Amino acid sequence: MIRFDCISKVWPDGTQALRDISLHVPRGQFCVILGPSGAGKSTLLRAVNGLMQPSSGTVSIDGVALTTASERALRKRIAMIHQHFNLTNRMTVAANVLAGLLPAVTTLRALSGWFSPEQRARACRLLDQVGLSPAHLQRRAGDLSGGQQQRVGIARAFMLDPEVVLADEPVASLDPKISRDILSLIRDAARERNASVLCSLHQIDLAREFGDRIIGMRDGKVVFDGTPAELSDQRVEALYQGAQWEDQEPANPAPMPDQLAAAC
Amino acid sequence: MSAKPIPVPAEGKRLDWHLSHPYSARHVAIALLLLAVILVTGHRTEMDRMVVMTGEAAGNLLGLNDDSQVVRGLSRVASAMWPPVIASQEEVGRLPELNRDRLPAFARIEVQERVVQTLNHETLQLESATSQVEYLVNPLGYLWTVLVKMLETLEIAIWGTLLSVALSIPLAYYAARNYSPNRATYTMARGTISLLRSAPELIVALFLVLAYGFGPIAGVLALGLHAAGFLGKFYAEDIENADKKPQEALEAIGAGKVKTLWYGVMPQVAPQYIAYTLYILDRNLRMATVIGLVGAGGIGQELKGRFDMFQYGHVATILLAIFLAVFLLDQFSARLRARLM
Repeated sequence: MIRFDCISKVWPDGTQALRDISLHVPRGQFCVILGPSGAGKSTLLRAVNGLMQPSSGTVSIDGVALTTASERALRKRIAMIHQHFNLTNRMTVAANVLAGLLPAVTTLRALSGWFSPEQRARACRLLDQVGLSPAHLQRRAGDLSGGQQQRVGIARAFMLDPEVVLADEPVASLDPKISRDILSLIRDAARERNASVLCSLHQIDLAREFGDRIIGMRDGKVVFDGTPAELSDQRVEALYQGAQWEDQEPANPAPMPDQLAAAC
Repeated sequence: MSAKPIPVPAEGKRLDWHLSHPYSARHVAIALLLLAVILVTGHRTEMDRMVVMTGEAAGNLLGLNDDSQVVRGLSRVASAMWPPVIASQEEVGRLPELNRDRLPAFARIEVQERVVQTLNHETLQLESATSQVEYLVNPLGYLWTVLVKMLETLEIAIWGTLLSVALSIPLAYYAARNYSPNRATYTMARGTISLLRSAPELIVALFLVLAYGFGPIAGVLALGLHAAGFLGKFYAEDIENADKKPQEALEAIGAGKVKTLWYGVMPQVAPQYIAYTLYILDRNLRMATVIGLVGAGGIGQELKGRFDMFQYGHVATILLAIFLAVFLLDQFSARLRARLM
């Protein structure tokens, strides 16, 4: 489904954000990316929908490489859920959700805001699914609480039935109870459509609970790739505390997918 | 995301902490230099004389000194302007179509004596002859004329504003660094904006009157073009400074620039847009009265005519009408702003 081939990213100031990352995320997998701040989690997610252009390597979706030419078409199939929700605050909840359709509608329809009955019904159904009520439809998005805003963000993300969902720390600014609800919503909505999810997180417990697979990143490298069961406390500590991962590696080698072994 | 963290120094390394004063002798020197420049220009623009004359005027009003040029000048103008003229009168002889049995509403005919100096062809002396002249007097006639002219001025201001909004939206799109398709369009849009802004309405109107003739066309175009530069600049800067987060969300799904602008930027900047546009409407109303002076329609044309004929009573009525219109528009826009925000 999503394949990263030797992705590297060097920022103009010389900071190396990603170092030769090769991964394959199969269809329908909920893949959590863990790692300290600055490890390159966001950068990696951004490579998938072209918000970040890698310095070298390619990202492909279903075998189609993400290039400037294919980007527009591919982006329609990739939804994104953001840490700060990224809603248009002064616009209504309804308009924010309908904005999820923008790449698929004509400019005239978009500018006039005249969406078809099916499209409007779809927005309502999704808002119902994420646990909002009809009373929220005409409220300004900025007036909602953080959790509610993220629900709107999820409804927006699923408007075009994406095949890939990128969630960039979707619950970083929410409390634990709401975080769990939000992640459940993302997981369930993605399962319903058999969509792959790439979700960066900071909470290890949530990562273990929701991830089918966990990828640990540090300094722009993938240092762990395995199932939640394989992510021992020791490994977590190593991931965050800065102990040399390689030192511990031989003792309990994590199963590395063959993509990782491939030479770049 | 794109903010690069300051590298954490190695442990144990001694760091050199130093927090200096917020300003130094250099800043003081610059401040003194600026003060000197201000004093020199103040003298050149006669600010010192202004202070003296204003002081004299204040002293005169308080009875401390006998004469003040300022008070003399102002009181002469004020007495000439009082009372404001609201009636109109026209010589009946010049109204051939007047039906004496059916005068216009409120109007009446007055007979006044007029002294005419005529030259006697035989004696070659000037002789005063008194004649009876009939006038059609309408007690509110001039007020009505002024209100109609004021309405015309308001219409010029509104159309000038509509024109400037219509022109400035595409200008702003191309002049916003993050939406302009390329550097050339950006530079061209910015250049156009500077050009439009740098040409004052009065001067543009002067030339447009030559092109389109006397009347409101020149006024609307002059106001619209100048304000388009102003609005284009401010709209563009708003677009550039708008919250990037919603734009990123829409960009991420490939919504395209125009749709992103419409859904991610416009709702966020709409309050400022409305505020700028209302300011332009307010400004255009005031400027519309001024550009009438060069013949671009509206009440300014009337004002200029009366001023040149030394009819200060009429001028007073016009000035009161302008003041009232600006005041009412201000009230209206304050209310509109409060409702829309």
